[in-house]
Amino acid sequence: MSRWQYFAKRLLLSIPVLLFGTSITFLVIRAGPLDPVSAILGPQGDPQAYNTIRRQLGLNQPLWQQYIDYMVNMFTFNLGQSWVLQPDTSVYSLVLGYAPRTIWLGFWSVLIAIFIGIPLGFYAGLNPNTFSDYFASFGGIVWRAMPNFWLAVILMSVLSQSEKFFFGFDWQTFLYSTNVTGPPPLPDPIWKLFTNPDQFVRALKKIAPAALVLGSASMGNEMRIGRTAVLETINSNFIETAKAKGVPPRSLVWKHIFRNALIPLVPIITGEAFILIGGSVLVETVFDISGIGFLFFQAVKNGDMPLTGSLMFIFIVLVVLINIVQDLLYTIIDPRVGYEGGA
Amino acid sequence: MAQRETTASRSEQAPLLQVENLQTAFFTDKETIRAVDGISFDIRRGETVGIVGESGSGKSVTARSIMGLVDSPGRVLDGSSIKFDGEELTEKSEKEYRSLRGSDIAMVFQDPLTSLNPVYTVGNQIKEALRLHRDMRGAEATEEAIDLLEAVGIPDASRRVTEYPHEFSGGMRQRAVIAMALACDPELLICDEPTTALDVTIQAQILELLDDLQEERNLAIMFITHDMGVIAEVSDRVNVMYAGEIVESAPVVELFENPRHPYSQGLLNSIPGNQPDTDRLSTIEGDVPTPNEPATYCRFEPRCPKAFDECSKVHPESLAVNDDAADHTAACLLYPEDVSQAEAVELHERRGSQREVSER
Repeated sequence: MSRWQYFAKRLLLSIPVLLFGTSITFLVIRAGPLDPVSAILGPQGDPQAYNTIRRQLGLNQPLWQQYIDYMVNMFTFNLGQSWVLQPDTSVYSLVLGYAPRTIWLGFWSVLIAIFIGIPLGFYAGLNPNTFSDYFASFGGIVWRAMPNFWLAVILMSVLSQSEKFFFGFDWQTFLYSTNVTGPPPLPDPIWKLFTNPDQFVRALKKIAPAALVLGSASMGNEMRIGRTAVLETINSNFIETAKAKGVPPRSLVWKHIFRNALIPLVPIITGEAFILIGGSVLVETVFDISGIGFLFFQAVKNGDMPLTGSLMFIFIVLVVLINIVQDLLYTIIDPRVGYEGGA
Repeated sequence: MAQRETTASRSEQAPLLQVENLQTAFFTDKETIRAVDGISFDIRRGETVGIVGESGSGKSVTARSIMGLVDSPGRVLDGSSIKFDGEELTEKSEKEYRSLRGSDIAMVFQDPLTSLNPVYTVGNQIKEALRLHRDMRGAEATEEAIDLLEAVGIPDASRRVTEYPHEFSGGMRQRAVIAMALACDPELLICDEPTTALDVTIQAQILELLDDLQEERNLAIMFITHDMGVIAEVSDRVNVMYAGEIVESAPVVELFENPRHPYSQGLLNSIPGNQPDTDRLSTIEGDVPTPNEPATYCRFEPRCPKAFDECSKVHPESLAVNDDAADHTAACLLYPEDVSQAEAVELHERRGSQREVSER
């Protein structure tokens, strides 16, 4: 089986997963206490109006009819319109409006984790039981242990009075004058970010604290796993064989150790993507970044059924896609992973 | 008569590898483990020297000491000397050592299943050695890698060269490892239990292969194993190791026919089938002790059936077992056998104090 056949097979196999996930979503939304009608009417709505709206929204139809409509809509990517939050706005335009900020946040938090966590972990693994290893490992545990919401609040209050803590260094006026919280100023259209360095730095500075908080747990994780992976690889027999062959230390690390140590890190890195979906709800709320997480939270709180369902569907599709990407990455870096069977 | 001739031809050429009083110790927080404690032996070109002993007797550490691969907290102690082709290896810098590893001295490890890097093709790993020591690249290196795989008896080598280690069987992998070791035409091949992890039929094939390669290339082979059958098959000369010391050294036929040290006798007796008349297999009771102090006694004494009082007070030195056999030595107070026991003990004592003086 070639790589592309394998890819096609995985895509095909993901359809049942999507079906199942979407069905569960429907069940949870309909069976839960969400009541979009009272959310639209407010607490003092009269029963007459209540029933009218209920009929208009199609909530009086039998559940199986609603289920079929929902599933058909989702799988034809007809994501519908918001009912409560921003009535009559299509879910597509809402997502397009909110997503860039979340993607900007997620991008940097993944990058921070990968470019700080993994190198630190590899460094610690290559110099085990030295002071710098203990320092990095301890730091990794601390980062790992600090919950998102707590770190977010602490970082926010420290940065907003940073001149007191950092000997006159004032974060708010550093480079550009900004508040600590608030959405990052993303230009419209978005690609101006890459042609205009001024815009880029401004948007980066704004997102940095939130990205640091969101990436911190994964950073600690990647550091710890990276360290273990390197230690395990260093002590394996093929490293000794390579040494006996006269391989110099530099290529021992970069050729023989690096790629093998990367294998256990693949699921950790892709797994972060899931954390980002869940974690961004909290962090976006604390830092007041109106992104997808914030939108989802508001939609659930206000009983906006179609918006909640459609966002859930998008999340499910994302998770399934990330999983497929992860498996593809595996086949690229580890030749032992086959395309046949066991899928 | 025949033996005298080989003795004469042995002494004609200078040995390729000369190990003299090699001591390798591991310094841990708890104790100092003297894994290899003052061993000496020679290997000549075209000769296979076997090293046998139980697990923990220091065989592998000996091999790693010669390769310069002893990792911290281990260290080759001062006063040790390893001469390869006239060059002193113990004084070499790490970089000088590296250019020697793989090119002049190569090593084949115990477990072929794990001694190849799983994420690179077999060809890639052979070519790496070629690039490092012979500066071969590209198509030329691929061509050479294919030739090497063919030389170690891997069929369809031009296809195999692009395959990954997991696509090879155990025996094939060991062949590939041997091909890699031979890539730069080494003069000395150190085999650290190369057949232990293989089926007996594959074992025989690998031993045959090593034999052929030795003949073709005039290789010197240091063969480490705990399998007496394998040793009998491959080696010209055998050193028996116990707790970091060489307790007996003899040509292979002599050792098997007439083992002198009680430990060698015990080892040979514990081969299944060697004593067909007895009901139970005879064994050597107990374990190899961990040598953590300089020996002032015989380390085998607690397990020795022939031990006597002096064994726990006098350290036995390697001495010829009798006047006629110059190349059969044993480190046991029972020898030399042509003098009385008291004289023998005194001889060992005197030799021991001489060595201490010369070390100082």
